[in-house]
Amino acid sequence: MGRRWHSFRVVHLLIVVLVAAWIASFASTFASVQSTGFDLAGNPIDPLKSAGGKVVVLVFVRTDCPVSNRYAPTIQKLSAEHASKVAFWLVYPSKSESAEVIRKHEREYGYKIPALRDPQHTLVKESQVQITPEVAVFDAKRHLVYHGRIDNLYEDIGRVRSAATTHELEDAIAAALSGKSLDVAATHGVGCYISDVE
Amino acid sequence: MTRTPQTLSRFLLALAIASAGFAERHPAAARQSSLKLAAAQPQVTFNRDIAPIVFRNCAQCHHPGEAGPFPLLTYADVKTHGRQIAFVTSKRIMPPWLPEQSDLKFADELRLTDAEIALIQTWVDQGEIEGSPSDLPPQPAFSAGWQLGKPDVIVRATKPYLLPAGGSDSYWNFVFRTPVHRSRWLKAIEIRPGDKRLVHHANVLVDREENGRRLEKEPGAGFGGMELIIESEAFDPDSHFLFWKPGSPPYVEPDGMALRLDKNTDLVLNTHFQPSGKPELIQPTLGLYFTDKPATMHPILLQLDNDRMLDIPPGEKNFLVSDDFTLPVDASVLAIYPHAHYLGKDLLAIATLPDGTKKTLIHIGSWDLNWQAVYRYTEPVDLPAGTTISMRFTYDNSTDNVRNPNQPPKRVMAGNRASDEMAHLWLQVLPKESSDTTDPRVAIQEALALHHIQNNAEDFEAHYNLAALLQMKGELPGAVLQFTQAVRIRPDDPTANNALGAVLLASGNVNGAIGYLNTALAKRPDYFDAHYNLGNALALQGDFAGALLHFRAAVRLNPQDAGAEANLGSALAETGNLKEARLHFERALQIDPKNELARENLEQLNRDTHDRPDQR
Repeated sequence: MGRRWHSFRVVHLLIVVLVAAWIASFASTFASVQSTGFDLAGNPIDPLKSAGGKVVVLVFVRTDCPVSNRYAPTIQKLSAEHASKVAFWLVYPSKSESAEVIRKHEREYGYKIPALRDPQHTLVKESQVQITPEVAVFDAKRHLVYHGRIDNLYEDIGRVRSAATTHELEDAIAAALSGKSLDVAATHGVGCYISDVE
Repeated sequence: MTRTPQTLSRFLLALAIASAGFAERHPAAARQSSLKLAAAQPQVTFNRDIAPIVFRNCAQCHHPGEAGPFPLLTYADVKTHGRQIAFVTSKRIMPPWLPEQSDLKFADELRLTDAEIALIQTWVDQGEIEGSPSDLPPQPAFSAGWQLGKPDVIVRATKPYLLPAGGSDSYWNFVFRTPVHRSRWLKAIEIRPGDKRLVHHANVLVDREENGRRLEKEPGAGFGGMELIIESEAFDPDSHFLFWKPGSPPYVEPDGMALRLDKNTDLVLNTHFQPSGKPELIQPTLGLYFTDKPATMHPILLQLDNDRMLDIPPGEKNFLVSDDFTLPVDASVLAIYPHAHYLGKDLLAIATLPDGTKKTLIHIGSWDLNWQAVYRYTEPVDLPAGTTISMRFTYDNSTDNVRNPNQPPKRVMAGNRASDEMAHLWLQVLPKESSDTTDPRVAIQEALALHHIQNNAEDFEAHYNLAALLQMKGELPGAVLQFTQAVRIRPDDPTANNALGAVLLASGNVNGAIGYLNTALAKRPDYFDAHYNLGNALALQGDFAGALLHFRAAVRLNPQDAGAEANLGSALAETGNLKEARLHFERALQIDPKNELARENLEQLNRDTHDRPDQR
C-alpha cells in the first residue's frame, strides 16, 4: 500500500483536469482588476485597495464546512501573530450565508478578523481558489504570490495528520513580506468545493 | 469462633478500547467512466434517482442534531454539496464503511454500489437537475429524542468535559453512577454522547469494582486516556459490546442476552473526540432500558492479540502481526471488533474450519481508527470445535502513512497511548451448551489464557485470569502458581497481591498470605477485599486485635457487607467485647438474614452470656 500516496495524487490531478477549463477562464486574471467583496453591512469593499501597503491574506471559509471550521484556531493565531504587517480577511463565498449567520459563526469560532461576503465569486476568481479553506496571499503590490492550502494537516478528507508538517501559508507570508519568490506558488486545499455554493 | 475465611479475588479482563479510516478504492476509474458515459446517459434527476440513495445512506447522520456537519434532506441541501458528495462517494470516504464485501453479511451495512456512485457522478456532471416533484420519495422521518422511547433510567455525566478548540484528538472517560437499588437486567443502553458532530465513537464498559472512580481526580471529574482496563468478576461483564458510532441505532439485546446491572455498578463511557475549531462542553447522557427477562444465554468476548510482536521499526510499511487461536468447543460468532491505532493498515480475520474450509470473518483493506466499529453478523457464524481463528494485521510506520503520529517515524511498540499501537481482535461468541458438566465458557477462557501465556510469558492478565479460573475449579496449587506469576510481573499490583494472598489463605498458607495482603493494602489503603482477607488471616493466627482493625476498615469501606459485619463481630467477641460483637452480628443479620456465621455466633453469644446480663 505504498500505492496509497500515489493514488491520492492521481485523484488530485484528475480534479485538476476536470476543472481545467474553468480555471482557464480566469487563470490570466491580473491583480489590478477591481476585486470587490461586501462587508457584513452590505458595503462594497476592496480588501486589496484598503490594505494600506500591507500584505493581504484572504481566507475562504464556509460556515458549514467542518474542515474550514477546524482551522479557525490556526487562522486566528496566524492573523494575530502578523497583525502589524498582514491584513487578514475571512471571505464567505456562499450567497445563501447571510450576514447574520456569518456574525454568529465568527462569534462561535472566536474570529476577530473582518469578514467579507463574496456572492459573485469576484474574490474567488481573483484568488484562483476552489476549496474552503484555501487562502490567497497578495503582496504589497497586489500581486497574487500564493493560493492554496494553509498547511498539510489534511492529506485528504478524513486523512488527517496529528500535526501539520508543512506550513504553506506562513511560508507565503514570509516570502511576500521579504519580496522573495516561492518555489510552490499554488497548492490544492482539502475541504469543501466552492463551486457547490449558490 | 471464626470460620474458614472466605476468600475474595476477582477475575481480570482487559477490554481495550480506542478509536479513524478511509476506504479509497478505484476513485479515478469511477470518475473517468462517469465522464465518458455522461453524454450518452439518460437524464439523472434528484427526485427520481438521487434522493432514494441519499435518504437511505446519508440522511441518518446528515440531519439536524446528528453527526453530519450539514443536513442532506432536500434538493437544496444536496445541491449545495453536490460536487463534494460526488467526490467523497467516488473515493468511498462516505458513507463510512470499512469492511470489504465478503460472504458473511453485517447488519446496518453502509455501502453504495458502484452503480449508485456512478449515478451521483452523472447527476453532478449533468448539472444537478431536480426533476419531477412526483418522483420524490417521502423524506425520512427522524425523532430528535431517545431512539428507543423514554428510557427507564437516564443518567447524566456529573461534570462536562471541555474539548479545546484546536489540537489533536482527545480521549476522555466519564464515570456514571448507576442509580439502581437492586439487580436489574439491562437490554439496551442508548448512548447520547453530547454534540454528535464531535464524537467519533464511544464505548461503555461495565465497572463493578469502581476501577474508573479510582482514576478520577475528584468524584465525577472523569479521566483521560484512550484504552481502559476494567477488573471484573469471572466472564462478566465483558460479554457485550456496548458501542456507539454516528448514525447507528442503539442495539437492543435479544431476549435471554440481557446484561446484569447491580447496585453500585458504574458505567464508564470511553469517548474519542476531534476538535471542531471552537471550544465545546461535552456532557453525555445514557438511557438505560430494562427487561424482566434474565440472561439465559451467556456469550463471552474472546480476544486475539499479539502485543509482543508489536515492535515496528521506523520506515516499515508492511509490518505483520498475527495470532491464531483454536476453539476448544463449538461456538457461534455474533459480532466482531478489530482494533488498531494510527499505524494500522490492513486488518484481516479468517476462520479455518476443521475440514479446511476458510471463512473471512472480516477484512478491512484500509483501516481508519476514526471509523472503527463493532460489526454484528446478520446471522451467527457457526464454528465447530477445532476451528482456528487467525488474525493478520499489517501496519505502516513510514511517512507514506499520513496518520503516523510520529514525524519523523520512530520505533513503535504496544501500548495504550494514541502514539503506541495495538493489535486486538475481539469476537463476541456464544459457546454451544453441551452435556459435558464443564461450562463451555470456562473451557474457552482457559484455552485462551493458556494461549496468551504461550504467546507471551509476561502477559499479566493471562496469568491472572488462568489463576482465577483454576481457583474457581478448586485447583488451588495451580492457582497459587499463576497468581505468583502475575505478582512477579507486576509486584505492585494491589489486585494481584490480594488475589495471591486470598488463594494462599484458602490453601491454608496463612503466613504466606499475610505479606501479599499487606502489599495490596500498602498500594491501595481503601481496598475492601484486602482488609477483609487480612482480617481473616490475622484471626487465623490468633491475632484478633490485628484482625479487628482490618474488619473495622472493611465495614467502614462497605457498610452493606454482611460477611464483614459478621467477622467484625467474631473478632470483637474473641477480644472480649461481647456487647459490641452482638451489635455487629445483629447488623449482619439485618443485611442478610441468611448469614449463618452471624446467626450461629449470635446464638453462641447468647448462650455464653446467659448468666451475665452486663454483657448483653
